[in-house]
Amino acid sequence: MSSVVFAWRCLVRQPGRAVLGILGIAAVGALLFDMLLLSRGLVVSLEDLLDRTGFDVRVMSTDGIPLGGPMIPDAVATATAIADLREVDVAVPLRLGRARTAVPGRRRQLPLTFVGAAPAAHPGWTGWHLVEGRDLHEVEAMAAGGVPPILINGALASWLGIAPGAGLALRGSCAVGRYWMPVLDFRVVGIAEFPLDGASRFTVAASLSDFARVCGEEDPDEADLVLVASRLDTGAAAAAEAIRGLYPQLYSFTTEELLDRFERVGFTYFRQIAVVLATITLCFGFLLTTTILTVAVNQRFVEIAALRALGFSRRRIATDLLWESGVLVGAGGLLALPLGAGLAAWLDAILRSMPGVPPNVHFFVFEPRALVLHVALLGATAVCSALYPVWLAACLPIAATLRDEVVS
Amino acid sequence: MRVSRDRAASRRLRVISPPALLVALALVAGSAAMAVGQGVPAAAPVDDDAPPILVSRQLLDAERLGVGDVVRLAADPSGQGARRFRVVGVYEPTPDPLRITTERFETRLHLGDLLALTADRADPLWNETVGTINVALADPADAGAFADDLRAKVPGLIVRPTAGEAENASTPFLVIERFHRAIASVTLIASTMFLLALMVMRAEERRETIGILRLIGVSRRRALLQVFAEGLLIAVAGALFGIVLATASQGVFNRFFQWRYDTALVFVRITPTVVWRSVALAVPLGIFSSLVASWALLRRDILALIRR
Repeated sequence: MSSVVFAWRCLVRQPGRAVLGILGIAAVGALLFDMLLLSRGLVVSLEDLLDRTGFDVRVMSTDGIPLGGPMIPDAVATATAIADLREVDVAVPLRLGRARTAVPGRRRQLPLTFVGAAPAAHPGWTGWHLVEGRDLHEVEAMAAGGVPPILINGALASWLGIAPGAGLALRGSCAVGRYWMPVLDFRVVGIAEFPLDGASRFTVAASLSDFARVCGEEDPDEADLVLVASRLDTGAAAAAEAIRGLYPQLYSFTTEELLDRFERVGFTYFRQIAVVLATITLCFGFLLTTTILTVAVNQRFVEIAALRALGFSRRRIATDLLWESGVLVGAGGLLALPLGAGLAAWLDAILRSMPGVPPNVHFFVFEPRALVLHVALLGATAVCSALYPVWLAACLPIAATLRDEVVS
Repeated sequence: MRVSRDRAASRRLRVISPPALLVALALVAGSAAMAVGQGVPAAAPVDDDAPPILVSRQLLDAERLGVGDVVRLAADPSGQGARRFRVVGVYEPTPDPLRITTERFETRLHLGDLLALTADRADPLWNETVGTINVALADPADAGAFADDLRAKVPGLIVRPTAGEAENASTPFLVIERFHRAIASVTLIASTMFLLALMVMRAEERRETIGILRLIGVSRRRALLQVFAEGLLIAVAGALFGIVLATASQGVFNRFFQWRYDTALVFVRITPTVVWRSVALAVPLGIFSSLVASWALLRRDILALIRR
């Protein structure tokens, strides 16, 4: 009989204990799996979001993250100069703020994310994807005529029940203290998908000058950041370096640098929580498996001594115990995966209810490396758990144990 | 203008007139608002004309400043229009969980000095303008009525009671609390499995003893009562050990995270509520596990218990 089958039969012989052990390992393993997903979930999610915009360098006037520092002055000229660099394909100045719009039949106004961009500077590269109607740069002339154009996202279009051609009145609430901005009328020209879009997030986009009007800004030529797409043949790092050379007072970050900074500064809390809880769950799993195996060995001293007397080697006994540990932890670990996936969805929903979290950002994100790490850590736990019981079985005095059994 | 932004601060600043406010809180974060110039060594000649400022402990450490040093502050990141100030003290910024990852590089200046440093001189009211005035009411319950009254008297003024702000600010922490509760419930399930497995094994080890006790006339009820008492003792001892361990380790957790984030925030606090909640969960669970594991054994036939 092979060691695996023998280990399986040993566990099946005590079904209650084995089931409890496997369920315990499954619960612990599910938590461990979730902590592995949490440890890098935000970074992976954010990387996905940043990549989706198509821009790989961000230029700001401060190295502070998130945004909220001083503006980039002469934004359009700065973006044009950056776009003229050999390493750069496209540069788009962007403003980010908030606005509100009245909803018929509701007392409270609907809060919106308000994006300001330079529409005519780089047609087709605006940081959003048009799904219906026309883009801002296509209807620039309309702005000169009267009612300025605006893009809205699908969620807002569904919520308000409007389509391209409809009117939309906005009141800016971009900065603290500026609560009484006048209401400005816009004409919806298109529906677009924004990188930070989601089912419950409402986003609108207008030109930089219209953004300034809505927000009551004195200077319409300022930007929070300039989005830059580097040329494929030179890469983002070279583009960022070139921009630093051109504007030493500005801060350029590639997507990798930005994520690295987020990892070091912004998201450390969840990573540390994940490390602490993963360590605790591993200790828990180790204790549980060790206890079950140790008690099993204690109860089977006579059986092990008899097997040794029949010619089973120490190595064979140790292998049997290792397999027993492996089967216990393996079955629990396998069960932990679907359990962990369900638990992750629940925990993710809790954390995403935090105000200000973009709907497309997730805290628990699956990566193959998380699965590999999960298997490796549980494997190590199985081996470590078997060490003490193996030592007990290996040091067992055969003759004395058998004699004690006969005498008793 | 808000009626009151920070209750603690409001209690200190009871005067409404801007020129009468003695201290302004100037929050200088990184390069965002002000540039900090070179600290003047302690041996430098004393410059009595330099207005006094307080600096945060973090800024003092980062710039290697000392009390008595003269520094230059500017509202412009380029350092243009910098003015000299003397560091007369250091303070620990009020811990703010929402700014946990932000470096607290801050200074506190007299309001007049702050206005002189940052105001637009083209504005004829530059030295009469403040962003916010905190007001502490004699009766905080009047906040709503006071806000309505003030809004009616001075149209265009933004007057907000702080109660709503506190609720909004606490929302992320309520979510974090729910997250921690969810994690705790999963941990509880795992530990219940662990406990049940342990108790089953323990009962199994005592199978023959229980069989002999039954043989000499001890009833199931009596044996179960004994198991209950044992379970109670084990559960209470385990709960107490857990509380002692948590109390002893909370300092380690707090010190680590306070060091990591350079803050005076308290991250782990074992309160009486937490203690009672833990005991209320752990003791019944321990007793339940003990009883379930033993009942599976006790209901067996006596001969089966003594392997005959």
